[in-house]
Amino acid sequence: MNTKQKYVVLIAVVLIAAVLVWWLTNGGEILSKDGIWVEQEISELDKALGLESQKVYQEKFILGLLPHTAVFSGAVIFISGILFFIFKSKKTKEKK
Amino acid sequence: MNTIIKTLILLLVAVSISFAQGFKVKATGEQTFNFEDKRNQVKFFSTTPLEDITGISNDVKGKVTLNVADIKSMKGSITISVASIKTAIDLRDEHLRSENWLDATNYPEITFAIKKVGDVKVAADNKLEAKVTGDFTVHGVTKETTADVTLTYLDASEQTKQFAPGDLLGVQAKFNIALSDFDVENMIVGQKVADEIEITATLRGSNAK
Repeated sequence: MNTKQKYVVLIAVVLIAAVLVWWLTNGGEILSKDGIWVEQEISELDKALGLESQKVYQEKFILGLLPHTAVFSGAVIFISGILFFIFKSKKTKEKK
Repeated sequence: MNTIIKTLILLLVAVSISFAQGFKVKATGEQTFNFEDKRNQVKFFSTTPLEDITGISNDVKGKVTLNVADIKSMKGSITISVASIKTAIDLRDEHLRSENWLDATNYPEITFAIKKVGDVKVAADNKLEAKVTGDFTVHGVTKETTADVTLTYLDASEQTKQFAPGDLLGVQAKFNIALSDFDVENMIVGQKVADEIEITATLRGSNAK
């Protein structure tokens, strides 16, 4: 493994680790989400009406394992593989 | 003979009144409640080992008429629009509205039409618990379904005026359906989406005209 190949592997590992950390800090959801349900505090009147608490929809992107994290990681691995091969070929050609 | 018949009728009326279960509130007679509040909500919940999915609609409309003294007289229906159901994933919402699922183009509404009320329990003067049976229509298929319902009647007051004029009726209902009973069948049902769906309704109605 030459220096360029080592850089390719290092950058790929860092990018994948970064997206996995982002995914975990987003709650480690399986699927990406476009919104969240926020539990609403129940009002005194609703309590008097015998109603349970409700949820309110809020638009918010939540990074999930599928598809975004998996697609990004796959793309990084694919591009790194190509670069790894290109750099390996150049070294071989140089030696010849 | 006429006296005997009259006595029997009076007795029958007295017996039916004594068995009638209703609210003990200021209001009397027949009241009609409109459910038009934007906070009214119907929640659909599916749980599978793979995923829990919550779908919520706030586009709920309906009208319920009841005799305050006899809850069994309750009639009416509640409707939600299929297009308004949100599951927190836009693509999944599109799938939900598509032909393979609820087919919102051909069947834009989900309806519960009340047929009868049974097993009434008085929880308080203004609060009743009952089993409400009705025709539940989804995907163009209608099945008789029974919901566990709690009804709470609030006479108009300074507190209720902040929400809406008139008396208020709170409805908290819960029941389960099987998607396969309503011809909603595809490969995903039973895997990512459960066949059995729990439905919860949280509704506020006003009798103001």
